[in-house]
Amino acid sequence: MLENIRYFIRRALRNMRQWPVLCSAAILTMAVALATMATFFLVVINIQGLANNWSKEVQVVAYFQSPPPRNQLSPLIRQVEALPDVQQAIFISKAEAFKRFETRLGEDAGFLDGVSRDLLPASLEITLKAGSHTQEGVGRIVAELKKDSRFDDLRFGQEWLERFENFVDLLKFIGLILGSFFLFAALFIVSNTIKLTLYTRRDELEIMALVGATKRFIQIPFLLEGALQGLAGGLLSLGFLIVSFKLLLQKGLQTFWLTPVGFNPVFLDGNQQITLVLCGVLLGTLGSLVSLRKFVRL
Amino acid sequence: MIQLFNVTKSYGKENVALREMTVHIEKGEFAYVTGPSGAGKTTFLSMLYGASKPTRGQILINGINITRMASRQIPYLRRKIGVVFQDYKLLNSRTVYENVAFALEAQGKKRYEVSKKVYKALKEVGLEHRLQRRPIELSGGEQQRIAIARALVVEPLILLADEPSGNLDQEVTLEIMELFKRANARGTTVLLATHDHSLYKRFPKRVLGLEDGRLIMDHQP
Repeated sequence: MLENIRYFIRRALRNMRQWPVLCSAAILTMAVALATMATFFLVVINIQGLANNWSKEVQVVAYFQSPPPRNQLSPLIRQVEALPDVQQAIFISKAEAFKRFETRLGEDAGFLDGVSRDLLPASLEITLKAGSHTQEGVGRIVAELKKDSRFDDLRFGQEWLERFENFVDLLKFIGLILGSFFLFAALFIVSNTIKLTLYTRRDELEIMALVGATKRFIQIPFLLEGALQGLAGGLLSLGFLIVSFKLLLQKGLQTFWLTPVGFNPVFLDGNQQITLVLCGVLLGTLGSLVSLRKFVRL
Repeated sequence: MIQLFNVTKSYGKENVALREMTVHIEKGEFAYVTGPSGAGKTTFLSMLYGASKPTRGQILINGINITRMASRQIPYLRRKIGVVFQDYKLLNSRTVYENVAFALEAQGKKRYEVSKKVYKALKEVGLEHRLQRRPIELSGGEQQRIAIARALVVEPLILLADEPSGNLDQEVTLEIMELFKRANARGTTVLLATHDHSLYKRFPKRVLGLEDGRLIMDHQP
C-alpha cells in the first residue's frame, strides 16, 4: 500500500517534470480562472461591506408634537431604548435642532435672522442595533413608536432603505450568476487543458492498459497530478491576488468608495484563502477525472 | 491454453473481420498466424488480450471464458499475456529500463523485485548495457528487443506478436525469432502473426492461415 502511494507520487511528479509546458499551461489556466473568480468575489464582499457600512447610518427620527416635560423625558428614552432593535435614543431639543440647522446653512445662516428659535420640532434620534438596519428592524421600531401619541411624525428613509436593500439583493444575485458562470467556465477550460495533456500522452495510457494496469492504477497518478497542479494554481492565484490587491485593487476600491468613513477594503480572510487553494485542488482533480473518463478505456 | 469456438467479429453489417473461427492451441505451443493484409490476423490477436470482444462465439484462455469477462477483469487477463507489436509501442520519453519496468509497476510489484527482473529481462535480449538510453536513440531491432523484454518480464503464459519483424531487416528478424524460440522453450505459448513466408519456412511450426476472415489452413509441420 505504502509502496503504491510512493509510486503514485513519484509518477505524478515525474510526469509533471517530463511535460513542463503542458503542466505549466494547466497550472496557469487554473490560476487565471481562480484569480478571476476570487477577484470578483473580493469586489462583491467589499461592496457588501460598504453597503453594510452605509446601512449603519440608517436611523429613525421621531418628532414630538410638543416636547415632553423633563421628568417624563428620561423614562421615555429608557422605554425606547428598551426596544430590542434600538441601540441608543438621543433627545434633540428645539434649540439644538435650530442650532444644527444654522450650522448646516453655514454662510447663509443670516436668512434665519428674526426667525423664532423654537421653530423646529424637538425629536428623538434613534440609532439601531447591528443586524436591525433592515426594513423589518426599522418597521418594528416604527410600529412601536406609532402607538405613542406624543410623537407627531416619524422619519426613517423608508424609500431609500427599500432601494438599498433591493440593490444589495441584486448584487448578490449578480454575484451568484457570475460566480456560477466563472466556476463552469473554469471547470470547462481546466478539463479541456487536462484533456489536451492526456491526449498528448494517450500512448502512455494505451501501453499501461496493455501491460495490465487496472483503471484505478492508471487514473490515480493523473488525479494526483491534477490535484498538485490545482494546488500550484491555487497558490499562484492567491499570490497574484495578494499582490494585485496591495498594488491596484486596494487603491481602486478606496477611490470608488463614496463614503470612506470608517471603511477599509478587506482582503480574503484565512479560511477564504484556504478555500481558494482547496478550490484549485478540487478543480484540478475534477478536471482530470472528467478527462480521464474519456481517455482511460480498458 | 487458447480455445476459440465459432468466433465471428464484425464491425457493422458489411465489415466482417473474422468468420466462424474455431481453433485450439495447446499450452507451450508455437503457432504462426498468416494471411494477406486484412485477413483478420490483428483482429484475432486483439480478441485474445481483450482489446475487442467477438460479435459471436466464445474464447477460452486457460479454461476461462474471456468473452464473458467484466471489463475490470481484463487487466488481470493481460498480466498473463505479453504482446509485441510491429511499431514497438514504447515510450520515447522514458528510458529503456523504465519502459520494461512499466509492465511490472503496472502490476504493483515491489521496487527491488522490479529492478531485479528488469535487469534479467534486458540481459536476456542483450540490452543490459542500454538501461539509461531512450528508445528513440536506438535502432529498430533494439527497440523491438525492448518491447520483447517488456512482454517477457512478467513471465507470461502466452506471448502474442503482431508482425514483430515488419519493420526489421532479415538479420535482426532472425535475432528476434531466437528470442521467441527461447521464450517458447521455457513453456510460453507463442502466437506470431506474420505474412512473411520465409519466416515459417525457416522456423517450421504450426501455421494457421487466414483469408478474408476465415481459417483456411491449419498446418502442422
